[in-house]
Amino acid sequence: MKKFQIKNWLVKTLSALLVIVMATSCNKDVPEPTPIAPAPIVGNSIGNIINTDASFSILKAAATKAGLMPLLSDSTLNMTLFAPDDAAFAASGISAGAITVLRAGFLDTILRYHLVSQRLPSTQIGNTFPNRQSPSFLNPAPTISALLRLTNFPTTRNGAWINNIPIKQVDIVASNGYIHKVAAIVAPPQRYLWNRISTDPDMTYLTAAIVRADSGYAPTHPASLVGVLNNIGANLTVFAPKDSSMRSFLTGAIYLALVAQGVPPATAFATATALASTPAVFSNPALYAALPATSVRGIVVYHILLQRAFTNNFPTTATAYKTLLNSGIAAHPGVTLQAIFGIPGVPFASSATVKGLGNATASNIYINLPPVSDPTGTSDQHFLNGVLHKIDQVLIPQ
Amino acid sequence: MKKLGRLAASLLLTLVSTIVFAQNPVVAGKVRASTGDNINRISVTIKGTKIGTTTDDNGNYSLSVPSSVKFPVTLVFSGVGVVSTELTVASASDKNDATVSLSTTMADEIVVSATRTQTRALESPVTIERVGLNTIRAAPSANYYDIVGNMKGVDLVTSSLTFKTVTTRGFNGSGNTRFNQIVDGMDNQAPGLNFSVGSVIGLTELDVESMELLPGASSALYGPGGMNGTLLINSKNPFKYQGFSFQVKEGMMHTDGKYRQPSLYNNWSMRWGQKVSEKFAFKLTAEFVHAKDWLADDQRNYIRPTAANGLSVGHIGDGTRSTDPNYNGANAYGDETTADINGVLLGIGGQAPFLQPFINSLVADGPTNVSRTGYTEGQVVDPNTVNFKLGGSLNYKLNPGLELIVGGFWGTGNTVYTGSDRYSLKDLKMGQYKIELNSKNWQVRAYTTQENAGQSYNLTAASRIFNEKWKPTITFAANGAPTPQTTDWLVQYAQTYLGGMLNGLSDINAHNAARGVADVGRPEVGSSTYNQIYEQVRKTPISKGGALFLDKSDLYAVEGQWNLTDYTKKVADVLVGGNFRRFVLNSQGTLFIDTAGTIGISEYGIYAQAARNLFSDKVRFTLSARYDKNENFKGRVTPRATAVIKVAKNNNIRLSYQTAYRFPSTQQQYIRLGVGGGETLIGGLPVFHKIYDFAGNPPWELPVGSGGIKTATFNEFKPESVQSIELGYKGLVASDRLLIDAYGYVGQYTNFIVRRGYGQKINSSLPMSSSNTRVLSIPINSTGKVKTWGAGLSLEYRIGRGYFVNFNGSTDVLNGVTNGLIAYFNSPKYRYNFVLGNNGFGKDRRIGVNVTYRWQDTFMYESDFVSGEVPAYHSVDAQVTYKFPAIKSLVGIGANNLLNQYYITAMGNPSIGGLYYVRFAYNIF
Repeated sequence: MKKFQIKNWLVKTLSALLVIVMATSCNKDVPEPTPIAPAPIVGNSIGNIINTDASFSILKAAATKAGLMPLLSDSTLNMTLFAPDDAAFAASGISAGAITVLRAGFLDTILRYHLVSQRLPSTQIGNTFPNRQSPSFLNPAPTISALLRLTNFPTTRNGAWINNIPIKQVDIVASNGYIHKVAAIVAPPQRYLWNRISTDPDMTYLTAAIVRADSGYAPTHPASLVGVLNNIGANLTVFAPKDSSMRSFLTGAIYLALVAQGVPPATAFATATALASTPAVFSNPALYAALPATSVRGIVVYHILLQRAFTNNFPTTATAYKTLLNSGIAAHPGVTLQAIFGIPGVPFASSATVKGLGNATASNIYINLPPVSDPTGTSDQHFLNGVLHKIDQVLIPQ
Repeated sequence: MKKLGRLAASLLLTLVSTIVFAQNPVVAGKVRASTGDNINRISVTIKGTKIGTTTDDNGNYSLSVPSSVKFPVTLVFSGVGVVSTELTVASASDKNDATVSLSTTMADEIVVSATRTQTRALESPVTIERVGLNTIRAAPSANYYDIVGNMKGVDLVTSSLTFKTVTTRGFNGSGNTRFNQIVDGMDNQAPGLNFSVGSVIGLTELDVESMELLPGASSALYGPGGMNGTLLINSKNPFKYQGFSFQVKEGMMHTDGKYRQPSLYNNWSMRWGQKVSEKFAFKLTAEFVHAKDWLADDQRNYIRPTAANGLSVGHIGDGTRSTDPNYNGANAYGDETTADINGVLLGIGGQAPFLQPFINSLVADGPTNVSRTGYTEGQVVDPNTVNFKLGGSLNYKLNPGLELIVGGFWGTGNTVYTGSDRYSLKDLKMGQYKIELNSKNWQVRAYTTQENAGQSYNLTAASRIFNEKWKPTITFAANGAPTPQTTDWLVQYAQTYLGGMLNGLSDINAHNAARGVADVGRPEVGSSTYNQIYEQVRKTPISKGGALFLDKSDLYAVEGQWNLTDYTKKVADVLVGGNFRRFVLNSQGTLFIDTAGTIGISEYGIYAQAARNLFSDKVRFTLSARYDKNENFKGRVTPRATAVIKVAKNNNIRLSYQTAYRFPSTQQQYIRLGVGGGETLIGGLPVFHKIYDFAGNPPWELPVGSGGIKTATFNEFKPESVQSIELGYKGLVASDRLLIDAYGYVGQYTNFIVRRGYGQKINSSLPMSSSNTRVLSIPINSTGKVKTWGAGLSLEYRIGRGYFVNFNGSTDVLNGVTNGLIAYFNSPKYRYNFVLGNNGFGKDRRIGVNVTYRWQDTFMYESDFVSGEVPAYHSVDAQVTYKFPAIKSLVGIGANNLLNQYYITAMGNPSIGGLYYVRFAYNIF
């Protein structure tokens, strides 16, 4: 019987061992998926900085009134604020008291234009020509498309700028983006280039020339210049010769045509002066042969760039850029732009020029110093679809 | 004429004698164990004939002796675990004395498959594992096929409750093609789908007499395919096993409600075997299984290898649906469709130039790939798994030594299979039918496998197509050019994403907002829209843009074997055989390139074996060789040499050198199937080089390495082969109470067949670009040599009083992998099983108990579907039974995975939990 006792002991030990093994180990079932953790939130939000930095008191009041503080304080978002401090508001003529008077909707519109929907440290803004085009938080027509945005144009070329407003300080780092301090309010454009051109008392010849250049095209036609100048999707720079420049250019052109036809010079000069004395010169059927629509179009499109060129982004050494003329004559060298930053302590260009290939000298842009905005300013006039500079010569393509 | 006349006369005589002398003498008696216990189901045969019977539950037998057999007759008593004993009955009048007492032992287990002749397991020249009736009856398994998984060195992949794949010595995988499964002499690999259907279609539990497992290379005797092993399952002959029996297992699954609500497991089986006369017997078997299947619910993010990411094998990564826009859940389907939104964004930029610079900054970092929203396996798969098997045979003895068998199995069911994707095998039907002539020294068999994929479909493809049906990712014009529409998923996604980014949203929030908008209209699972679209997709053939297989491929085979030992025994024991097979691939272009009609593949093989005892019978040498030829491949000889050295009585050392090789599977030859990752699996035969114009439009290797595009060169596609050397020992020690079996092997694989990805231009006249590239997955022979080695040990100990304890442990290791080859080794380094049981104790030895414990190590699982780490797991199976001898019945209660601790056997495969059952069985042998 002893033998069986041993066996009993063995069976019990083995059973006990089995129970211990069973009870102490544990299977690992399929683990739950591991979420990818969002990037950690570091630092204060833009809203927080505005809230606590005393130099942003007017901005804080404006943003609070506009109801934008929750947006600016949302640390899950990405944005860059071109932030006007109190001095900038003052430079633009807006006092703390004015904020209480202004409509919340107006403030919302203004401030949203200062806000770009991505993180743009100064190193990413870029210093090439033309300025970076950045969509702001301002959708001018949300009912048409959720993707519509007014854009602004920062650059670090020739200093640091947004549109034609200098940036005083870059790269204040926030949890939800960057703050760049601006020197003045960056006003959102409100009108189209055509609104300005067609109503400016000193651009009546240009207006007539554009209409003449559009002969045969309805404004809805893709080739219509009026259409383009009214199109929010366009991105242009218009060099607008003042009426007197247009007048003298036309006088000369008609005079030369008449002389070529054998008209005596004195008569030709008098006739040319009379004909060119009003913008109706473009709609005068007698001159259709001397001023064919295609030639007018050629001159007009030579005044238009397919990008926004603020004077502060002009090169400091004369450089050629293509114009709208190149869509017809691809090989044309374009116009030559140059800006001179000569005034110590002033960030703005002291002079800026544009030269046509056929011009003996460069045309001067009538620089406003300090800047003057639409409708009375003459340089860096910003519109929904482009920028306009008034110049003192007609640009001649050849 | 003279011979014919004699034959006719003898036939006539037989007939007359049957009629006239219908009252044959009957020999009857009782068989007892030497311990005095009753032992049942011992085979009693008349020596030199096939006439025999088995003992009943009390050990009684009676055997009628036909007049053709003259007294004295020698009865042979044999069975599992008993010492074979002979008893001579002098005359019919001695009948009542034919009572014997047998000693139980582990020494005399007989195996057949090791040499294709009856051999004592102890003297087998190669490692062999055998499971007999007693083990099957006592095993704590809801399904007999699970028992194989607890054998030494075996790995089991569970693709679903009723779809399991076993293999040995590595290279495991669902639907493994390197492991032969032979059921009643028929290879049960599905001719078109290529997996062995063992657990779905084949024998019913009550009809299994034995299972023999040959780990390692075994094609010298069993034909190409047995690279890693062969499993032979044999059914019960109705002459030997008679009567009606049935078994009901009723169980519970999902008891914790983790993956599904608690549900029933039903397994009903019956068998009816009847000997109508000494010449004729038949059997009929049926089994029905119904349950809610295990659920594959790995929702982790699977990073697929793509041309872009340069991975050669995928891996599990971080990310969820809400934190990774390109999330691809391992067991989520439909999210394999991935597209780059940058193209749409740039298109928007073209229409809205003021956004162009902003969009440029979004696309600057390269593709922004986003995946469609998928559905989980729990949502798309019918949870009901059903399996119905039917089988039977008619057995006719043309004379006492020659038996004609006409038989077959047929099965159908719903199950889930893991291949290059997950597949719902719905209403899969497969039948195997044979006609066989069995003599003592020869046998001839003809059989066919008839496959019908039924309504089987690819879950991944179905879900992807489903997504395209309710909302196209992007619309394509007739010429293949993308023509984005505002109603397209990707367009809506990209627009909303851009809007979100313009509102300053973080990238992931913009993505999630975009998904929310693009998914508007996504049918809810179970809604009528969902059902209508899904049904349409899964019922439309692949060739017509759906996900349905139309596979009706067949196999026809003839084989024969002749044991010449009677003529050659002075020199050696000699065995010869041969076979011929013809595959007929028929998928109507949904799986193979058989769009123009069926594809036939013929192959044949011949083999011979000679064995001789030397050195005073101390050593037995066996030499085998096999030659196989497939019409698509060169012929090849696979030799085998073995030696068994008797070191002491019942203690043998075995040594073998084996080679095996495998013709590429029918799919590796002729498949053409688009799968989840967007690639197309094609066959490796040269015909594909023409179809895909490799000469005019050469493919390049993927992933593209740092050296740039490398044009692919294709060598002759060859069968793969393995050479293996094994050393083993099997012996009985400790007063014959302890059976030890140990082995060690090394194997070397050459021309190893792997799939590899290649890029090819879709339109050869257009320049190379990502949108003009298709990915072809082509089977090739790896130039690297793969080496494996392993070892195993099993101990079976009879403690006494009926208690036994078994332990087995094994290891398989892959080494020498070169060239960064993905070998799909897929085996744990270590695994062990532990069994403690007693098949009869208590009053009248009525109680049986069995506890089986299994543990296996963590391992890397590599597959075309999902690759990753399979965690180590353990499981406990247990069963207690109680016999009611008076009503020949047994009740039991058991559990598989008793602790209900979920585990997976392979990546992307279901989590297996506890299954608890009660069991009632009547008259089981």
